[in-house]
Amino acid sequence: MVLLDPLAFFFWAVILLVSLPALIYSIGYFKNKFTRAKLLTTQLITLAFIASMLFLVIAANAFVFLIVWELMTLFSYLLVLTDSENKAAVNAASIYIVMTHIGTAFLIAAFFLIFKYSGSFDFTAMSAACQTMPPLLRNWLFIFFLIGFGTKAGIVPLHIWLPYAHPQAPSHISALMSGVMIKTALYGLIRFVFLVLGIGSLWWGITVLILAIISCLVGVIYALMEHDLKKLLAYHSVENIGIILLGLGLAMVFTSLNLASLSALAMIAGLYHLINHAAFKGLLFLGAGSVQKGTGTLEIEKLGGLIKKMPWTAAFFLVGAMGISALPPLNGFVSEWLTLQAFFSGAMNVPGLLALGFALGVAALALTSGLAAACFVKAFGITFLALPRSSSAGQAKEAPAAMLSGMFLLAAAVVGLGLLAPIIFNLLAGVAVSICQAQLQTTGLFSLVLQPNGVIAISPLFIAIFLGAGLAAAYLVFYGYKVRLGQTWDCGYYRTDSRNEYTATAFSKKFRISFGFFLFPFRKTEKIKDSFYHVKSFIYRTNTTNIFEKYAYNAVLHLLYRIAEIFKRAQAGSIHLYLSYILATLLLLIILVKIL
Amino acid sequence: MTKLLLTILKISLVVGLAPLASGLIARIKNNLRLRRGQGILQPYRNLWKLCGKEDIIPENSSWIFQITPLIVFATSVTAILFLTDNLLAIIFILALGRFFLALAALDAGSAFGGMGSSREMFISSFVEPAACLVIFALYLTPGSTWSLTHLLAGLSLLIVILAETTRLPIDNQETHLELTMVHEAMLLDYSGRSLALLEFSAQIKQLFWFCLLAGIICPLALLPYGFCLLFIIIVIAFIEVGIAKYRLFKVPDLLVFAVILALLAIVSALLGV
Amino acid sequence: MIWLLLFLILLITVETALVTSLPALLRNFRYQSMCLALLTLLAAYRETSPELYVIAGLLFSLKVLLIPHLFNLLIKRINSNNHLGLFLNAQFSLLFVVALAMISWYLASLVIAPPAYLEQLTLSAACFVVLTGIFLMASRIKALAQVIGLLLAENGIFLAATIIPGGMPFFVEIALFFDVLVSVMILGLFIYRINAIFTHIDVSKLSGLRG
Repeated sequence: MVLLDPLAFFFWAVILLVSLPALIYSIGYFKNKFTRAKLLTTQLITLAFIASMLFLVIAANAFVFLIVWELMTLFSYLLVLTDSENKAAVNAASIYIVMTHIGTAFLIAAFFLIFKYSGSFDFTAMSAACQTMPPLLRNWLFIFFLIGFGTKAGIVPLHIWLPYAHPQAPSHISALMSGVMIKTALYGLIRFVFLVLGIGSLWWGITVLILAIISCLVGVIYALMEHDLKKLLAYHSVENIGIILLGLGLAMVFTSLNLASLSALAMIAGLYHLINHAAFKGLLFLGAGSVQKGTGTLEIEKLGGLIKKMPWTAAFFLVGAMGISALPPLNGFVSEWLTLQAFFSGAMNVPGLLALGFALGVAALALTSGLAAACFVKAFGITFLALPRSSSAGQAKEAPAAMLSGMFLLAAAVVGLGLLAPIIFNLLAGVAVSICQAQLQTTGLFSLVLQPNGVIAISPLFIAIFLGAGLAAAYLVFYGYKVRLGQTWDCGYYRTDSRNEYTATAFSKKFRISFGFFLFPFRKTEKIKDSFYHVKSFIYRTNTTNIFEKYAYNAVLHLLYRIAEIFKRAQAGSIHLYLSYILATLLLLIILVKIL
Repeated sequence: MTKLLLTILKISLVVGLAPLASGLIARIKNNLRLRRGQGILQPYRNLWKLCGKEDIIPENSSWIFQITPLIVFATSVTAILFLTDNLLAIIFILALGRFFLALAALDAGSAFGGMGSSREMFISSFVEPAACLVIFALYLTPGSTWSLTHLLAGLSLLIVILAETTRLPIDNQETHLELTMVHEAMLLDYSGRSLALLEFSAQIKQLFWFCLLAGIICPLALLPYGFCLLFIIIVIAFIEVGIAKYRLFKVPDLLVFAVILALLAIVSALLGV
Repeated sequence: MIWLLLFLILLITVETALVTSLPALLRNFRYQSMCLALLTLLAAYRETSPELYVIAGLLFSLKVLLIPHLFNLLIKRINSNNHLGLFLNAQFSLLFVVALAMISWYLASLVIAPPAYLEQLTLSAACFVVLTGIFLMASRIKALAQVIGLLLAENGIFLAATIIPGGMPFFVEIALFFDVLVSVMILGLFIYRINAIFTHIDVSKLSGLRG
């Protein structure tokens, strides 16, 4: 009934890593917010949600897997609807549940296809049956699994629900959904494509790599344009799922080429980024919730100067921002370095054209990393630094201790996952070896040495120590001197206030222009005039077009509506008409019996 | 033990000679412009003078503003460590310094800093792919003898260096006009010892990149290392004098060209040329 | 005897297409159920199956005595005019019902081979009653007619059950009975409520709920 292998243990670690701080956080978050009944219900559903995820990764039977999967979706749907008075939340939850069920339909189809061959829903029986299937069927199964799990994970172009659902849920629920739930979709992908189905052809891995690259870039570019903290973080989830899939796709490619140890390395890179993302995304969402609780708004353009009013939140958010921007010595750096290293090591052992593809993957990953750092400079800088841009930001209050402790635990995890990289690497090697059936050398304790390229080594601990030494040296040599407070240089204009500061829209304008071929920005201006000569005010609105929604989803929805309109004419409201439909069908069937 | 001593020697050489490299470039540029110009050791005097001045901190700023010079210096020095063996980590370490410098620029609370930091992050997001691909190409090169790969990678890295060391045509170190400054905008509110530290770190970073490029273009047997460094310095000086600053939205075109050069380097490495 | 009862059932069902008032329809239903109960009794005697005795008993008590009585009370309480409301007038209904009879005879001949004339006739009668029941639901306006149409269709299914060799499973028949009883109670209740709120039980007014 239960399957306790290293992969399941790893996912338990991921789930618990985020769930425990989130639960601690929720104690402070819900203070004075809901009635007792609603609070109790919400906490119970949260616990049920976490429990369903824990059961999902140890299910040994596809039927149980499906049931728990649906339960997980149901509980998260209810949690997104926590603030059900808000129309946007209801809308978001509807989009979420429709899209998830489309994915689940593909999963059910895939499971039943395998069932026809295996006769049982047990994973081992299914994997034995998959070895005997014709290759065409295996290809279709791969596509079904990819779509099914991709909808839940948020792979472009199935990511539409993410930016709607994650901002509407309470912050620790967003942390759980973004940090853990979309990872369970990746668990499903690993379990079913690697272990049950078995990697078939090379094009599987290449498809995943291409989808991963697209997800990375689309996610980060849309994130750059967002000025709502949680929506920005949701788009970053899309990007990071892309990065994880880069590792997993590489593992698929290497497995299909029978390069087992490289496949294990790529798998380790993917899994490492998985747990890293859970840690820093969870931390960032908790920080955003803390900002919302302290100031009442999540719009970056209205915040500012929070580092003085909410110092702890700022510090923890900074740790999370450094983690997601892949800055040493924190955890994002290690996993991105490992992914790049997997690309490099692979390029020497694969055919030339594929190596060129790897080069494109490297370029995409580096571009993503740079854009992500830019986005978080914007997010952290405009939200927390300089002067407050509105009165609500000026009167911000620090978050209660429960929320701060939750954030502290995750920040410690972010730092720990970075500094203790060799230990984590060894643990993950155990998981990867069990999936890819490879041999991998374990590395030293203080530095991560990769075989077969023995010279490539890295030690975040060492980097941290050296950075610290550099800091100390700089401080001792250059400091201890008198400092004076002065005014910021603003060309000699005497009244510096928050309106002199840079805005988030201005910060992202450069990216909006240079990625305009993809974003289709447009602007609306409105001039309000006092008299013929005097303009009283000028309103400028700029926005980007979401091409996925506009051209893919809305087009499909309109088609569906038009077809439904045609069928609507049959629904005339008369019960007699409906009954005559029944009679006519019966008669038709009788007549058809003779003809056929 | 010898490894430790060599490392210390390496670091102290780079750190010590960094302002000299800046001074050389400035002297050559001035000579090309048919002026007398400053002495080669002027940057050292500038740094010394700055250390004697008072540090003025904007009243709107926070601890990030004060810790940034320390972090930028630490990252520049740490990057030297990885000069020979682990090139990939360099990009991330330098990104750490850049991240904090951009944050500090926003911290001051003026539009200059915001402009500087947004332009810097914009340019650097295109520089990172080029740098990663160059490192990829170096990883794939068949041996340590001269080959087409080295040439192409070197050219690509030259463009990357222009971006990273804030040289024309991407950025101008001699200007303080808000239309044109990128790196200088981020330093605008610093003074005294913090400014000295930041300028020193920029010079260290610059010499570090020169050393990296020299390591590529002069394989062991051909030319001595110092000669290569001088050659690079002269080339950079010529580029700075000969070319005007690009409009900001033309810079990605230049950097994409660097990416393409690096891709070509990879292709030639794969072909074994 | 069975032939006679079958013939009576057919006749009464055909006549259902001609009635135009609620009490008449109810009487019709009652007579049909009585014939059916007798038929089931005879079939029970022939096949010596104790279950069919129980079914016959239930048929008699529920569909001959209880349900028409309940509906009579309902009709009195509703207190509106007793006209049934016809979508399709009586003559055309008759023609249509005769066509239904021909189709059901055709279906029975497909299913059951010629020598077994009794079974053929019974099956065709059953089919005919079911189709007529649905037709009644579709072509009469008052809500009560829909209920009675449903009950007629129910009768048809029980008729078919009597000729199936081995009989319908007992539990299914009992379940059907309980279904019928409960649905009649509920429908009766609802019709009374509908009348109380809307002051009519004209189902064609539901067309306000068009899509």
